[in-house]
Amino acid sequence: MFTRHVSRQLAAYIDGALSPQEAARVERHTARCAECRAEREQVKFGMEALDCLAVVEPPDAVWTSIERGAYAPAKRVHTSVNAARMSACATAAILALIGVAYWTIAHRAPAGEWIETDSKSSTIILVGQIGSVEIEPNTRLRVVTDRPDEHRLALARGEIRARISAPPKLFFVDTASGTAVDLGCEYTLKTDEDGAGLLRVTKGWVSFQWKGLESLVPAGASCRTRPQVGPGIPYFDDAPERLQQALESGALDTILAEARVRDTLTLWHLLSRVEIADRARVYDRIASLTPVPAGVSREQALKLDPETLGRWKEELAWTW
Amino acid sequence: MVDLSDRQIGAEIVAACRSGDRDAFRALYDFYKGRVYSIALYFFHGDEGAASDVTQQVFLKLMTNISQFRGDAEFSTWLYRLVVNACTDAARRRKSDAAPADRSILETFAGPGSQEEDYARAQMANSVRQAVSALPPKFRIAVLLRYFEDLSYEEMAGALHCSMGTVASRLSRGHRILAERLRALRGKKR
Repeated sequence: MFTRHVSRQLAAYIDGALSPQEAARVERHTARCAECRAEREQVKFGMEALDCLAVVEPPDAVWTSIERGAYAPAKRVHTSVNAARMSACATAAILALIGVAYWTIAHRAPAGEWIETDSKSSTIILVGQIGSVEIEPNTRLRVVTDRPDEHRLALARGEIRARISAPPKLFFVDTASGTAVDLGCEYTLKTDEDGAGLLRVTKGWVSFQWKGLESLVPAGASCRTRPQVGPGIPYFDDAPERLQQALESGALDTILAEARVRDTLTLWHLLSRVEIADRARVYDRIASLTPVPAGVSREQALKLDPETLGRWKEELAWTW
Repeated sequence: MVDLSDRQIGAEIVAACRSGDRDAFRALYDFYKGRVYSIALYFFHGDEGAASDVTQQVFLKLMTNISQFRGDAEFSTWLYRLVVNACTDAARRRKSDAAPADRSILETFAGPGSQEEDYARAQMANSVRQAVSALPPKFRIAVLLRYFEDLSYEEMAGALHCSMGTVASRLSRGHRILAERLRALRGKKR
């Protein structure tokens, strides 16, 4: 008799955020469905109750810290990092690199320029106005693009530490095994010339992409990269050691047995990477660790329906 | 809580900040600080240290990257995306999201003027703070974002990295849990 319940839309209905057609459907449904009508009153009560929450002002010290951080000279960073690592024999090389260290991609380095550090040198480059990249010893990279809407580096080998604060998808690092796409974050990325390496994220998120394959790596997680394979399955750095080893060897039984709730990060990625025959086992293991949200059906998930997987990821990500 | 004129003032300040006006940065901070701090404070169960850290982090990022903004809509989405990211990153680092066992902590971070509230209103405010604190994080952040900033569902979807349907669903569920929790708290006190 009743059409689909409207629980999920009640807040949007009360806030006037539904289209006239959707709002009319909610009205028609709640007129006949006592359950949804009661829920509508609950949602409304919850919203009204919040009116007694006061806006609280931060202590004055917060602004002082912000001002100090925002207007402190950026040079301090370069000086301390480079001074700590400088040795007598590398001085000449470092001096040559200091010009690069103070260069901003937008102004001082033309696209196409190579930057290389030897075994005893390191440096930091500024990425436009959105962050910086620390270049570790024995690293070779090239500035590919230096536009305000796209900053792109190519890491041929070595290790970098990127600290980026910008809207997502403005900063990219290409390697032989794929591209790290910044989603507002801090991370280290190391690779050899063939593309074998490791991405480790310390803040925010990074998407590592290769030929349509994507690994989403949140803070506290890592992801191996391999030549001609692209991004591996991400895992949390505090994941059980046996799980991490099993990811290397591909031992699915162990991965499933060792996974914790938080390791649904790994399992969610595995879902679309394992053989079809194993997909249901991965689905069932995730479902046993955390309730499957409304709108995610087993059938659609096993078909790898993008909308279903996206929705599931949104829910699971709260445990990551 | 934010009316249209507030939004317009915000847009003007953002434009001045983009041209490097330091006074405008201070005005931007003054304009948004209470809401940003409050979201973090209620998200972290009244932990003033965590709320201060999040506020500092958010505004530092804003001030060093303001030139990336192209307009008011993008700004509010970005601002609250930063708030959401900072809160969720900090929550991950804390490992435990449990509300403090000592309820008096939640009861002491009433906003300015709360001492002047009558007893019943203060009691209600305490109950609401406890109920918000007990919400699962994904519902808590959505509910706080809607209450303190009154963003459109599209803007909230941008800030929360999810679809508008998911925003609607989380708000419905979050407010419903809140109502149930409040009724239970009121029941206990009787």
